[in-house]
Amino acid sequence: MDWIKQVIRFFIVMVVQLLVLNHLQVLGVCHPMVYVFFLLALPITLPSQMDMVVGATVGLIMDIFSNSLGVHMSACTFLMFYRRHLIGELVQDAERLKGDISIYSLGTESFLKYLVLMVPIHHLIVFTLSAWSWSMMGWALLETFVSSFVTMALLYFISSIGNRRDHQ
Amino acid sequence: MQDLLKFIVKYSNLLVLLALEVVAFLLLLSNNHHPRSTVLSTANRLVAAQYEAVHNINSYFSLHYTNELLQAENAQLRAEVEQLQTLVSDSMARSAAEYLHHSIRYIPSRVINTDSRLSHNYLTIGCGSNMGVRSGMGVICSDGVVGIVSTVSQHYAIVVPVIHTDASISCMFSKNGYIGTLRWPGDNYRYARMEDVALHVDVLPGDTLVTSGLTTAFPKGIPVGVVDQCDLEDGESYYTVRVQLSTDFRRLDYVQVVDNRSADEIEALKHGLD
Repeated sequence: MDWIKQVIRFFIVMVVQLLVLNHLQVLGVCHPMVYVFFLLALPITLPSQMDMVVGATVGLIMDIFSNSLGVHMSACTFLMFYRRHLIGELVQDAERLKGDISIYSLGTESFLKYLVLMVPIHHLIVFTLSAWSWSMMGWALLETFVSSFVTMALLYFISSIGNRRDHQ
Repeated sequence: MQDLLKFIVKYSNLLVLLALEVVAFLLLLSNNHHPRSTVLSTANRLVAAQYEAVHNINSYFSLHYTNELLQAENAQLRAEVEQLQTLVSDSMARSAAEYLHHSIRYIPSRVINTDSRLSHNYLTIGCGSNMGVRSGMGVICSDGVVGIVSTVSQHYAIVVPVIHTDASISCMFSKNGYIGTLRWPGDNYRYARMEDVALHVDVLPGDTLVTSGLTTAFPKGIPVGVVDQCDLEDGESYYTVRVQLSTDFRRLDYVQVVDNRSADEIEALKHGLD
């Protein structure tokens, strides 16, 4: 069942995010947010309004666990809104994409573009909203820059493992 | 009517986006800058229980460090007890000591979750209204000041630590008693800043900062930090003092909530003045 797979993936991703990555301490600027993998890999078979509701829910759960009500929710909702448009731009016949969005389904080049155009936007929203002041904007931009790179590298790695496993 | 339906269908994506974003921003504004809801935060029983379970496992890895801290604190307490015993022979000191003993109670607690990464960090501690913790109480640890209790649920409480951009702690230089307000600028979790220190004040790196006792949250003399550097910008007539905090917020394990029993009386008096 596909939705069971999604639920299991959601739990794994949240556990890794909340128990490991949220406690990572690298120079105070590197806060990778790998939980967006769940949202980025979601198949585009759902109606796009439902996509956004899923995004908002995932964001809200993240927020409850990190006392940052509204921050992740806002970023994830926008991410899911933008995702549909982006996939339409990247892939000619988006209708044929039935399964997960991955390196395999998009192709390496499109998948990299997909990451580069999605992850920094999500991170930028999260870090600016959690900084919540103009004086901290420079710091928020630095956090966005550093964390985006790490998140993208991790997502690329995760997706390529999944890819290999599915096609052996 | 049909036009309206067509409009809604055509722009449903945008409308859903806007609706969800409005909800998110309302939550953000209601939560800024302290978590208010005991349900939608780590004061939530389910969320806190999860953090507690994880913390129970993690705490085994820091047992050695925690033991060392406790030993050091024990030694210090023993020295203090001896000092006090010699003092208590004086009857004046005895009544003062009794007063202190009765007016302040410490509620021990474990820290079950910490943030030290964002500008709005919070701690979740494992005691709540069932142990008498109330919002506004101070929290200290063996190293020094930790923060102030914000949201309280039955079994858990959320603490706004010194390393939260909205936190401000009234403190003083222990050598000359000059009082100022300590704030955290939001970057490095080891350093906070004290602004508006007048030029005539004799401040040098290495000076210690302690709580002033002006607020009811903390008793006087709890360590806050050590002056790291004092800068004087061109044309300014105030020092900006960088303070290395004595509490390491990434290694917090055991804390004590300060229950100042005369707090209500003092606050009532202050309100009476207004």
